[in-house]
Amino acid sequence: MERNRVNNAERTGASIRFNDVGVTYPNGYTGLRDVNLSIEPGEMVAIVGLSGAGKSTLIRAINGLVPITDGQITVGDVELRGLSGRRLRQLRSEVGMVFQSFNLAKRTSVINNVLMGRLHHTAAWRTLLGAWSKDDVELAMQALERVEIVQKAYANASELSGGQQQRVAIARALAQKPRVILADEPTASLDPPTSHVVMRDLQQINAELGITVVVNLHFLDLARRYGQRLIGLRGGEVVYDGPGSEADESVFESIYGRSLTAEDVLDARPVVP
Amino acid sequence: MTAQTRSADRLASGAGQPAGADADANVKRAHAGPARPRKPVRWLRAIVWIVSTIVVVAAFWSVDISWQALLDLPQKLTRYLGLMFLPPAWEAFPDALSATMLSVAMAWFGTMIGIIISFPLSLLAARGLMPAIVRWPVRGVFAVLRAVPEVVIAVLMLSVTGLTAFTGALAIALGSIGTLGKWGYESFESVDRGAIEAATAAGASRVQVMRWGVWPNAKPDVFAFWLYRFEISVRASAILGLIGAGGIGKMLVDNIQFRVWDVVGMLMIVVIVVTMIIDQISGLVRVRIISGRWELPIVSALRRRSAGRARREATAPGSTR
Repeated sequence: MERNRVNNAERTGASIRFNDVGVTYPNGYTGLRDVNLSIEPGEMVAIVGLSGAGKSTLIRAINGLVPITDGQITVGDVELRGLSGRRLRQLRSEVGMVFQSFNLAKRTSVINNVLMGRLHHTAAWRTLLGAWSKDDVELAMQALERVEIVQKAYANASELSGGQQQRVAIARALAQKPRVILADEPTASLDPPTSHVVMRDLQQINAELGITVVVNLHFLDLARRYGQRLIGLRGGEVVYDGPGSEADESVFESIYGRSLTAEDVLDARPVVP
Repeated sequence: MTAQTRSADRLASGAGQPAGADADANVKRAHAGPARPRKPVRWLRAIVWIVSTIVVVAAFWSVDISWQALLDLPQKLTRYLGLMFLPPAWEAFPDALSATMLSVAMAWFGTMIGIIISFPLSLLAARGLMPAIVRWPVRGVFAVLRAVPEVVIAVLMLSVTGLTAFTGALAIALGSIGTLGKWGYESFESVDRGAIEAATAAGASRVQVMRWGVWPNAKPDVFAFWLYRFEISVRASAILGLIGAGGIGKMLVDNIQFRVWDVVGMLMIVVIVVTMIIDQISGLVRVRIISGRWELPIVSALRRRSAGRARREATAPGSTR
């Protein structure tokens, strides 16, 4: 934490490398197969694919919420496989996460939710009493200001709309001072205008703070618009990896296994030129 | 050949049937697809029904019902109610009130001790915080405490602590640990998993996940359970008085023994009114904690009634809306 404050360069994004990564769940289901990826520091990557294609597995493997069974993932210079206990929590503290259903503690205040991002750096007694340090409260307020929702700091999280809750969740990830932000279908529970607000927030965080952002998206137009780089998953394997702008209709057909329909785009108009 | 019959052909030949039989099947079943399920026969359900009917009938015949006493009941009841309430012994009011307050104090003290002891124990019993080897013994203790009624606990403790209100309070405390412990770990386990996942993903330790992933969402329910248990304890403390642990129950038994019916009537009035007032106040706070509204339980009950009536009228046939 101290080093982070002193050396601003360390706050910039971390690289993420997948080497022959495979995930087989205990019930025998294969989530990922032979995935090789190299995500550079400060990149913004969108991952698309049908439900069940392995998008969530891939994202959750990066912070160890889903343990990998083959290969190796390296975040920054930390090798993930076999990591446990304090060292795993250390890695997780450097990787912020945003979820489809926001995952806020609804019956407590917004600021408490954002401060949950500081848990790893907070002493046990402070955690138990909720006696957050002044610096952490300041950090949380700045995070809320960045997503433009600071006026709700002392409101109950349950009083907020879906879009506001997701922005609080982004602030919580930011409060971690992360080197990577993972977003698992962050817009799936939101209406189209709010979806764009949330995606723009993520885009700005990526551009201004240099944090590596990996985001799962169901809608192709969002993926093309906000992902500089697009990764397509099908059946747990990478079937496309390239710039979003070059992903034409044939690419989407190879990812989705069928031609595009109106259901695959957020704004009901054609996206593929 | 239509697409439908073609697919039916394929189905039939796949099942190894001669192609001729397939045309018939196709007529009977308008929709080619998986066979409709047969209505299942629920044997267990039927047996349970038959057995419980037999048990009820048998119980009815085996109990020696004195029909004459049942016929006399209304008349006798009227007589005793008259003795108790026409008029009640108003001069006994101060004594009745102070005895009731002793019972309430017993309930309050017992519930407080129960809360203090059950809270850490329910954390030990919650899945996700402790391994099974710790969880199950603690749950076992809760189950045993719940199985034994407070009166029995008090009787067992009499030999140690004597017949005092303190014995009653301890009996209530032990009983509270059983129910509060179970309610506690159940509400810890039933909270929304989202905040837990978020705290874990942020690198929080097990204790931190419990404090910030679980507790904020479980807190209102747990507070409400504490209050609800206090309401139960108030009733239990009156019963504990019956075995001599002091308070309103003891006064009630003493006066029934000496057939001082007008004092009994006064006691009944005080017990019922005080218990209802406590229920309403406690309920008021519970509603506030859970829904954030200040509203007496009786008021919300009445409002629900009138709201239901308004809805029925609004949707009734012939209504203008």
